[in-house]
Amino acid sequence: MEFQTRQTGDAIEAHLSGRLEFTDHDRLRDIVALLETPKARRFVVDVSRLDFIDSAGLGMILILQEEAEQKNISMVVRGPRDDVKRSIDLAKIGEIVAIEG
Amino acid sequence: MSLSLTDSRVLIVDDNDFNRKSLALLIRRHGIAKIEFAVDGIDGLEKVKSFRPDLILLDVAMPNMDGLEMCRQLRRSVGHSELPILFQTAFDSDEEQVSCFEAGGSDFISKPIKPGECMARVRHQLERRKLFSNLNAFRDRVEKELRHAQAMQLSLLPESWRIQTIADRYCLSLDSHFETSSELGGDFWNVFELDDHRVGFLIVDFAGHGITAAINTFRLHTLIERIPADAQDPSAWLSALNLALKEVLPTGQFATAFYAILDIATNRLRYAGAGAPNPVLCVDGEPTLLDSAGFLLGMSRRAVYKNHEVAFPPGAYLFLYSDALVESPGRHSRPLGHDGVISLVRTAANQTPDAPLTSLVEFFFAEVDRPLRDDLTAIWVQRRRTEPLQDR
Repeated sequence: MEFQTRQTGDAIEAHLSGRLEFTDHDRLRDIVALLETPKARRFVVDVSRLDFIDSAGLGMILILQEEAEQKNISMVVRGPRDDVKRSIDLAKIGEIVAIEG
Repeated sequence: MSLSLTDSRVLIVDDNDFNRKSLALLIRRHGIAKIEFAVDGIDGLEKVKSFRPDLILLDVAMPNMDGLEMCRQLRRSVGHSELPILFQTAFDSDEEQVSCFEAGGSDFISKPIKPGECMARVRHQLERRKLFSNLNAFRDRVEKELRHAQAMQLSLLPESWRIQTIADRYCLSLDSHFETSSELGGDFWNVFELDDHRVGFLIVDFAGHGITAAINTFRLHTLIERIPADAQDPSAWLSALNLALKEVLPTGQFATAFYAILDIATNRLRYAGAGAPNPVLCVDGEPTLLDSAGFLLGMSRRAVYKNHEVAFPPGAYLFLYSDALVESPGRHSRPLGHDGVISLVRTAANQTPDAPLTSLVEFFFAEVDRPLRDDLTAIWVQRRRTEPLQDR
């Protein structure tokens, strides 16, 4: 998985691409660190260019959600498609994390 | 960092008695006491066998067999490819130094010997060897422990005699395949004799693999002892397991699951899913995917699960599997995907109706290389067409 960061106003955006899976666990720390950005109120995890997510990847999204909640930052997962959307729906992640089409 | 080198063994190969003695004096002064000598290459090869050195200080020009030839022979022999060999070269010539490396030397020291440089190089090579052997010993130990743990994990799964007994009791054909990716995995499955006409099937996959996932399968096993499989209500049981797992699992760790109760008296299959890959059901010759969407186990206290029910008459089959089956990339192709599973199941059932799972696994591994990146579990449950026993 690769990711790029963007900041607009009080929103931090992480644009993920490639495959988010078990072996990416070490990268998670880098994404969590984005939540330390001063004045960040909203956190957008853009997955529209993500091709694949496994169950460990879903776990990382849940960890991000928890980290964001602790910092009073509202998180949204944006633009899941194909296999990624299927996995998110299958696991009902949308009941816990805000998903934006 | 400074490792103790007192137990290191050094072989000095030199035809000159004075050189042997002065080198020995030097390295002994630095705490290395286990020293052996050889006078030429032939003697040197013998001493390598009997003395088993950790490092060789090797002269180049010697009678009978020179240092370069001795080094070449050692490098060709089993077990000495990594042995540090330090050449002593008389000339500071580029050509000779190159030939030392070409023969397989690890490094060289130039004559006349400069004590500081000599010891620095000896120490460097010995420390490196020691670190490598420590690392190897550590790896060997971890591998051994993983194999033990793997055996323990396999013991959580139903034994083949039990599977057979249950198959006979409920007039089923039951077959299973289980293999882990990196020695340990997060897959788990079991079958439960609920009463005379009801039998339950559970398949679970903890996120990730390796030690963490494996420990979670042990947790689940213990939980099932405490919260026995529900004979009526699959969703209620998944809810109970979810709450119990939520108590013990940190955020980000969870499991997908599917639990089905087969009632051979009513010919019904009742099931609930927790995000497991869609199982394949076949009732009338055409396999379809079952809805297994649901909250992952251990994800949320608010999770609710939904029961579904379908007809499951004699001849019908159910195929359960973990995501490795659909997500493992093929050698020349994309991963199977859920649609691919249907055709794989159909082909296996049509071609080898007596042992569909065996050929299904064969077809799968015709395309996918071992070792797998994720754990693979596959279970085939089929009702025999023969009439169930009448004494029920």
